[in-house]
Amino acid sequence: MQAASLNLLSKHLVGMVTPTSRPLLLLHIFIFPFQAEMILLEMQDPNTGVRSQPQRLVITTIPHAITGEDIVTWLADRLQIDVQEARSFGSMLVALGYIYPLQDHKRLVIKPDTSLYRFQTPYFWPTQQWPVEDTDYAIYLAKRNIRKKGLLELYEQEQYNRLHKWMNHKWDFIVMQAKEQYRAAKERKKPDRVVFDCQERAYWVVHRPPPGTVSAMDYGLDRRTDPNADETQTSDYYERIMIFTQQAIMRPRVKSSVSIGALVKHCATYIGHDPFLSACLPSNPWLTDDTTYWNLNMSNVETPTKMRVERWTFSFKELLSDPRGRDDFRLFLKKEFSGENLAFWEGCEDLKWGTAATMKEKAEQIYKTFLARGAPRWINIDGKTMEVTMKGLKHPHRYVLDAAQTHIYMLMKKDSYGRYLKSPVFKDTVKKAIRPEEHKFNDAQLEQNARNRRPSLSPIILRQQEQELRAKMAANAPVDITQLCRFTTPVPHFSVYSGIIDPPSSNTSPSLPFLPHTPICPSPISVALDSTSASERRLEASEGEGEQNTEARVPDRGNVSKSRVALSLRRLLKRGCSPSAMFASLSPKCHTAAATSSRIQPITPDEPSQAPPRRTGNFFQIKVDIPPECRIYPIESEDEEEENRLASEEVVGTEEIICPWESLTQQNGTG
Amino acid sequence: MPLVNNKVGDDCTSCSGEALAEGKALVDSLIKVVACYRHLAACVGGSMDSLQLRDELRQMRQKAQNLATALCHHLTGHLRDKSLPEEQRKEMELLWVAFSSSLELLHVDICKVLKISSNFSLANSASLVQTGVQGGGSEVAARALSLPDLNQTQARILPPSLETEEHSTMEREIAQIDHMIDDMEMKVNVLRWTVEPHGPQYADPLSSTDSASLALVSVVEEQPGPRLQPLCQRSHVFVLLLLFAVILVAVTLSVCVSLFS
Repeated sequence: MQAASLNLLSKHLVGMVTPTSRPLLLLHIFIFPFQAEMILLEMQDPNTGVRSQPQRLVITTIPHAITGEDIVTWLADRLQIDVQEARSFGSMLVALGYIYPLQDHKRLVIKPDTSLYRFQTPYFWPTQQWPVEDTDYAIYLAKRNIRKKGLLELYEQEQYNRLHKWMNHKWDFIVMQAKEQYRAAKERKKPDRVVFDCQERAYWVVHRPPPGTVSAMDYGLDRRTDPNADETQTSDYYERIMIFTQQAIMRPRVKSSVSIGALVKHCATYIGHDPFLSACLPSNPWLTDDTTYWNLNMSNVETPTKMRVERWTFSFKELLSDPRGRDDFRLFLKKEFSGENLAFWEGCEDLKWGTAATMKEKAEQIYKTFLARGAPRWINIDGKTMEVTMKGLKHPHRYVLDAAQTHIYMLMKKDSYGRYLKSPVFKDTVKKAIRPEEHKFNDAQLEQNARNRRPSLSPIILRQQEQELRAKMAANAPVDITQLCRFTTPVPHFSVYSGIIDPPSSNTSPSLPFLPHTPICPSPISVALDSTSASERRLEASEGEGEQNTEARVPDRGNVSKSRVALSLRRLLKRGCSPSAMFASLSPKCHTAAATSSRIQPITPDEPSQAPPRRTGNFFQIKVDIPPECRIYPIESEDEEEENRLASEEVVGTEEIICPWESLTQQNGTG
Repeated sequence: MPLVNNKVGDDCTSCSGEALAEGKALVDSLIKVVACYRHLAACVGGSMDSLQLRDELRQMRQKAQNLATALCHHLTGHLRDKSLPEEQRKEMELLWVAFSSSLELLHVDICKVLKISSNFSLANSASLVQTGVQGGGSEVAARALSLPDLNQTQARILPPSLETEEHSTMEREIAQIDHMIDDMEMKVNVLRWTVEPHGPQYADPLSSTDSASLALVSVVEEQPGPRLQPLCQRSHVFVLLLLFAVILVAVTLSVCVSLFS
């Protein structure tokens, strides 16, 4: 800053600082470092700045030391603010590194007593232009190591080792540079050497804070542009302003009375439940370090607290988002025999939030369980939504079941939720809900709590517990089958859908029962069926097979997968497996899906019958143009299949999953 | 530079040994200059900032530039020589890493000095920050420039044109260093992760440490607030005790002498 501009700016400052200006406004202006620098320059002025005194050390004296109280009084005087604010401003200057304390150098605060401070040299001022380099830090630590003869502090030692590991190639240079800097420092006079050491140490205390201290340098993520820099007014800049304004105009607007009313309503409803705004029973863990509150509100607790139950009555979303509430609701629905809605909703959530690799398989399972005609847990959605969903399922993606999910959600909300709130299940829960008493801690107990703070369970353990719970639930879950099919084995393997599914990751629950072996399924051809649909299926299957076989033969690209498909088709028809199983064994993912469901029960290596609804096979007619990278395990024989299944069991969560979903065509026109 | 490539095979080891030694010497002096430059750069804008300091800085920059250019040619020439044996190449690469790191440090330092000196003009001495530094950096500069003594320039009135001239010179030098760094990166392909340093992890404490200054500095180190007073008192008391003991001994001796004589 040139002298002239400095004078101008200080005049400007003086102009701003009128006795009537409010201190808050003033502090807001001085957040930016430039302002701090200006103040600092004024402070160090030998005539009008803070009074400086020499610092007496054992052998020598060093000038230009200032006391904390002098700083505070000068700031209060200059900026016309009160002492408290001057103190915090002073502390900010110290924390940023413009002034450093001479005693107790690790605590970067202003102490309004006779403790001494000194101004930092401009070379070490904080600036965003040149980021703080690790190389410099390494050199500093090496120098310090030389001086202290190997007795660095613990965190410095750790940093040193870390830097040695990461900057190993430069290490010779760093050591040499450290030595040279050390020797150069020795050339200087002793007081200057001391001052320089203090300056450098203060710089590194600011920029590499010792553990347990708060750093003022934390500024969050790096931004692409510097908000303090002036932006050039190019045409691009104006164009951006124009686009922003246009979009702002086009935004739908809500009347402020409406929006404010909504905000007020929300605040009024939730204010009693916010631990920061109102009392928290038994005690606020953030204040008292007592985790009872969290323990009482865990997701698998037997009796919830009254506040929690009250929250469920606010909205359906609250009920569903609370795991305990969801359990309660599930119980209620089980009694009402409409549990499939919630199960479907949960399945859709799982699909939306799951990994991309498992998406297709999940979508298929959900379809088979809930949406297909004759599905065991068929949900009731209207025709249009069903149409949309079916169309989407041809090319399944994360949000393919969104429409159906919303429909079911609204159904539950409008219908079941109301009944739930009046049901005996809920009333029972309300009666049993506990209201913990408030616990006041005295100081000694507070200290003890702070000492006994322990980190909570590791997320890995939590996830494992969750999975175990899910598996247990899956085993015991109800099977509410709305359509019983002769070929449907009323098997609890569908129970996996009653909870939240995560087949690739869950590999527990050996308690799932034995599932029938699909190849043992009676062949639809050989067994006499008395439902037309079965024969229909057979016909269609054979048709499909014929189609596909010819298709397979005609191109004859020597494509292994295609021949495999053809072979498998033939084999399956011979075996007379259910069409879904045919599909199942054709799709490699289904194969691994078979494996995945068998992954859920790793002990029983059987291929579960993948929901043999009568119509599913019609839907999943498979065309042969499966992409060549599709890895279908050769299914020549049953044993081989089993082997492969066993083999694929080991392969948990394979990545190369190509589901022939893309090649599906909808044969099931009637839906 | 072309001379290197013309060397005959059997001469190569000896001359690359020489070349290595030469390179090492150059790198050492460059590192020394960079270290001293950093010390002096930390004084710019402070209470001891003066024309002399700026002058010294300029001289050191000059020297650093010369060293850097020489080293650049030397190393580039050698590293581009395909016939260099493996160990020699490794040594050269080490030197190269040291050279590029020093250049980077120097670059940052010059940029900082430019910025600070443009903000803190010497004309207005009241605006120079009172950092507590009293002496000049002449000794450091002398060390860097390997001169026994620097002639003290008289304080002269600073013509405003000199500053701008200095700034433009500095900017040019910065650009030059930038160019050199880019050039080197282009011409020589040194894989930094393959470079293995020889030296120890911990710099050995120098044997010729000045114990008095060490004591002073260590006193400064352990300066927590409430402890300062007792420490001072303790050292004062110790000195007093020592003095007292000496006086006591002297008195005893004189008494003995007077008794026996």
